[in-house]
Amino acid sequence: MENKLKITPLNAWHRENYGNMADFGGFDMPLWYSNIGVKKEHLAVLESVGIFDTSHMACIMVNGEDAFKLLQLCFSRDITYLKHGRCGYGVILNNKGHVIDDAIVYCFSKTDYMVCVNAGMGSSISSHFKAHRENLLVNITDLSEKLAKIDIQGKNSAKILSKLLKHPELVFDKMPYFSFKGHFNENSSFALDAVFKDKTCALISRSGYTGEFGFEIFVKPEFIVKIWHDILNTGKEFNIIPCGLGARDSLRTGAVLPLSHQDIGDWKFINNPWIFALPFDSDKKGFTKDFIGKQALCDSSLDKFTFPFAGENLKKIGTGKDSMVIDKYGSNIGYVLSCATDMGIGWHKNKILSIASPNVSGFKAKGISCGFVKVNRKLDYGEKLLLAKGNREIQVTVLKDIRPDRTARKTISSFLLN
Amino acid sequence: MKEINDLNLPENIKYTEQHEWAKKDGEIIIVGINDYAQDQLGDIVFVELPDIEDSFTQGEEFGTVESVKAVSEIYIPVSGEIIEINSELEEDPELVNTSPYDKGWIVKIKPSNLSELDNLFSKSEYLNMLKG
Repeated sequence: MENKLKITPLNAWHRENYGNMADFGGFDMPLWYSNIGVKKEHLAVLESVGIFDTSHMACIMVNGEDAFKLLQLCFSRDITYLKHGRCGYGVILNNKGHVIDDAIVYCFSKTDYMVCVNAGMGSSISSHFKAHRENLLVNITDLSEKLAKIDIQGKNSAKILSKLLKHPELVFDKMPYFSFKGHFNENSSFALDAVFKDKTCALISRSGYTGEFGFEIFVKPEFIVKIWHDILNTGKEFNIIPCGLGARDSLRTGAVLPLSHQDIGDWKFINNPWIFALPFDSDKKGFTKDFIGKQALCDSSLDKFTFPFAGENLKKIGTGKDSMVIDKYGSNIGYVLSCATDMGIGWHKNKILSIASPNVSGFKAKGISCGFVKVNRKLDYGEKLLLAKGNREIQVTVLKDIRPDRTARKTISSFLLN
Repeated sequence: MKEINDLNLPENIKYTEQHEWAKKDGEIIIVGINDYAQDQLGDIVFVELPDIEDSFTQGEEFGTVESVKAVSEIYIPVSGEIIEINSELEEDPELVNTSPYDKGWIVKIKPSNLSELDNLFSKSEYLNMLKG
């Protein structure tokens, strides 16, 4: 069984460095490193910096005269507003309005895009695009396993990259959240915009998977091991730590970001914290474009609601359809989609604080369980719920946001000052 | 995860199918979770302990062990009454990871029927079960 798993170019490194490996989307990936542990990995991203091997994720190139038209049809965001050098988060829906996968679309030009999806999803998303291509003039190239990626996340990421890039001032200049520079293909006209000192061409995007400040770095697979080592060596002074998928999950949940196929999936993508990914018009009633799944989303009968919650302490509850969400009237209104402990936060005087919050003397982050529930009615923020599974139950509060003082949207310059 | 051959499984204690261990110490039984369980769970962030004087029958759930991502029930290896709990775990749950058989013990039981120990696995029987 295990020898059928795919590996990333960093697999040997993970195994030599105590990676606690498991099958993730058909790839042999580290859940955490046994000599470090999920808790330290999670906290490193909040306090300083961590790196993740995300080469298991799949990228698809969409090029040609009608690339824009195809993505307008297949991707939930209205990419009219996506200019060169910008990227956007959204979902790819089927006709029922269910999520096939979530994705980030990168715009090189109106005829040249890259779509980054989850592990093992490259071929099904490519097939989906091809099935809807019809007469459109567009090429779809699945780069699964032909591209490698590292995410560097945390407040010291820019300082580390600035020591490794040839012209960091050019890369970081005018680089807001969800924008990118460069190209992993040295023949691209954008290739010179983001080059490492060792001449490796990269696509560097100011995004990432944790809700914290950082970058995603796409390079050809043959260069990834060296870049990984260079980042680890240069990051030593900031106590950089390699992080596995466990820390990804707990960081994402605290940041109210969904895990594809767990928090979003085989049900309608509506009434959830991520509907910013839908192309609503200004009065929020209609959509600005036609797209696959639109009709289903417009029919609002029997829709479910997804809400974030936080527990009273770090105690968690099991998830799945056999879990229960009990409201103040004693009715079971749904089930728990996911539940993780964010060890970087804690309750302090009826408010959640993070270890990254300013002026928190006297506060010790003891961890808070958090996650998402899927329920059959709209909930109010602040509403208390009882989550139950088996003979265990925890009380939680419905919240709009969980981990405060996240850094993802702060300016790069604020992290380059000493 | 650790390879089966790399697991630390002392010879002088008994193991359960759910990866607890039980050690006879005079008239009492000390209970914890074994190296396999702590390795699978990863960083333990919370251990829910029973109360002293609670009684359980063999195989009954007596608490939970939580990692960042998962909640795992723990089951009593032999019937009896809880006479001591490891309250250090309230502050330092990671002792279960760093010292599963020593500082990371979970409860001490006054067993009601010592012969139940014979229903549990020896190290070699436990290893055979893991290897399936």
